[in-house]
Amino acid sequence: MENNEFKDEQQEIYESFICCVCLDLLYKPIVLACGHVSCFWCVHKSMNDSSESHCPTCRHTYYHFPTICQLLHFLLRKTYPAAYKRRENQTLEEEEEEDCFSPQFICDRPENSPTSTTINQTSNSCSTESLESMEQSRSANHNGDEGIISVEGKKLPQNEHNQQPKILVADLTCPMCKQMLIHPVGLNCGHVYCETCITDLPHEVLICQVCQSPHPGGFPKVCLALDQFLEEQFPEEYTLRRDAIQPSQIKVQPETTSSCSLSKDNGEIIALGSNPELLVHEGAGCDFCGMYPIIGDRYKCVDCKEIIGFDLCGDCYKNRAKRPGRFNQKHTPDHKLELVLADDTDFSDLELVQDEDDTDSSDLIVIQYDTDSSTDEE
Amino acid sequence: MVDFARVQKELVECHKDAEGSGIRVAPKSDNLVNLIGTIPGPTGTPYEGGVFQIQINLPEGYPFEPPKMQFSTKVWHPNISSQSGAICLDILKDQWSPALTLKTALLSVQALLSAPQPDDPQDAVVAQQYLKDYQTFVNTARYWTESFAKTSSRGVEDKVQKLVEMGFPESQVRSILEAVGGDENLALERLL
Repeated sequence: MENNEFKDEQQEIYESFICCVCLDLLYKPIVLACGHVSCFWCVHKSMNDSSESHCPTCRHTYYHFPTICQLLHFLLRKTYPAAYKRRENQTLEEEEEEDCFSPQFICDRPENSPTSTTINQTSNSCSTESLESMEQSRSANHNGDEGIISVEGKKLPQNEHNQQPKILVADLTCPMCKQMLIHPVGLNCGHVYCETCITDLPHEVLICQVCQSPHPGGFPKVCLALDQFLEEQFPEEYTLRRDAIQPSQIKVQPETTSSCSLSKDNGEIIALGSNPELLVHEGAGCDFCGMYPIIGDRYKCVDCKEIIGFDLCGDCYKNRAKRPGRFNQKHTPDHKLELVLADDTDFSDLELVQDEDDTDSSDLIVIQYDTDSSTDEE
Repeated sequence: MVDFARVQKELVECHKDAEGSGIRVAPKSDNLVNLIGTIPGPTGTPYEGGVFQIQINLPEGYPFEPPKMQFSTKVWHPNISSQSGAICLDILKDQWSPALTLKTALLSVQALLSAPQPDDPQDAVVAQQYLKDYQTFVNTARYWTESFAKTSSRGVEDKVQKLVEMGFPESQVRSILEAVGGDENLALERLL
C-alpha cells in the first residue's frame, strides 16, 4: 500500500527539505535557532527531557522547543502535495497510537480564510495576529490572488502529473519588509523574517513583531535550507533583494551563547543547571515559550485531560501568556493552573516551601504532590 | 519503537554507495533490529586488507538512542575489547545524534581503527602495549587482522598445522607466526 502511495510521488524532493532525523520529507517543520530544520516530532523526540538539548545536525545547544514554522509548512504542502499528504497520514497514525497530537491546522490554505489556524484557537491572540499579518502580507503583494488560484488549481487533475503547483513570492514574504524573504531566520515562535529586518529592532531581547513573543536564546542563524530554496526558485528576485541589502545593514551579531530565557532582575542570565536551587521538571515543557524541561516554577493545568498535560513556566505564567498547547491540547483560559511544587523527592520539597514564600500570587492554588502532603501534615 | 522506515532508507542509501565507501550494512534476519555491518580496514594501518564485521543491534528508541555496535571479528585495538569486541567510541554513547546513521557511525568506527585513543582505552592490555611497545602492538594487530579479518583467515590454521607437522611445537609456531605477522616463510626461517 505504501508503495502505491510512493508511486504518486513523482516529484523528487529538494534535498534540503529532507529531515535529517527521519530521512523523509519534512512534516510540520521546526526551524531551530541554528537554522537547521527538522519535523515537529523529530525535534521533540531529539530533545533531552532533563537538561539542555542539542541540534541533531550541528549540536548547537538550545533550551526551548520552537513552534512549527507555518510558512514552511504551507510551502511544503503546496510544493509536494502527494508526499506531504502521505507524511500527514503516517504521522497521524503514529499520533493516534501514542494518543498525543501535534498542532492541527484546519485549512490547507492560510491565504484563504481566517479559520485556517490551529483548531483550539479560543482567545488565541497570537495565532489570530499571525493570521492578520499573513493577510496583510498578501494584500501588500499583488500576487496574492494568484496565489489562491494556484493553490486551488493544484487540486485539478491535470495538474497532478506534469505541472507543479506554482510557488509564488507571496508564499515567502517577510512580515517586516513585506518583500520576498532574503537570508531568512526563524524565531522560536515559528515566524520567519529576513535577517536584516530584525537586526535593528530596538529591544534588547528579540521580540517577534507578529505575535510579540520574546525569542529566547540569542540571535538566530539563517535557515540555509529555505535560503537556498529561495535562490533556486526566484533567482532574479533573490539577486535583486540580495544586492539591495546595503553592506551597512548587515550588522555582525555578537555570538550570543545560547542560554535559557531565565534571567534575574539584574539581567544576569542563568545557564541551565547552574543554579541547583531551581527545580528541574523533567519531561515537562512550557506550552507557551517551549522551555523544555521547565526549570524553576512550573504551573500545571488541572483541567486539561490530555496525557501530555498543559504546563507553563514561571515567566509565561506571570505574563499571563495564553495560547493553546503545543500538542493540540484543548486548553482554554478558564482552566485553572496550579503551581507544581516538587517532583516526588523530599529534597526538592524543602526548597519549595521557600519558593512558596516568594510567590505572591493570590489566585494561586498550591498543590502538594504525593509524599509532600504527608510530610506537611506532620 | 524503532523507526523502521528510516532504517530501510538507510540500508538503501548505504547500498548505493557501498562500492565507494566499502561500508556495508545488511539485516541479520528478517527483522531490522539485528544487522551486520562490515568495514574494510583502513589503508596504512595494521588493519589494512582485513574486512571487519560488526554486530549491530537497534534499541527501541533508535534513532533517538544510539545503535549498539560491537565487533564480531576479533581485533587488536586499544579502544576495542580483544575479548568481547565492545567499542569505546563517544558517538555510540553520549555523543550520539539522531542525524547520524548506521553508515556514518560505521565510518567513525573505521576512523577509530586509523586513530587509536590509548588514553581512553577499552582494552587496557592493548592500550599498555600500544604505549610501551608500539612495534609489538603493530605486529600483533597485523597478525590478528591476518588471522581473523581476512577471507583467507582460515589459512592461518592451515599454516599452523603445516609447521606443526614439520615437527615444531604448536605454541612456538603460533607465537612466531604472530610475531612475523602471519608470514609462513618468515616464520619457518625463524623456527629453523
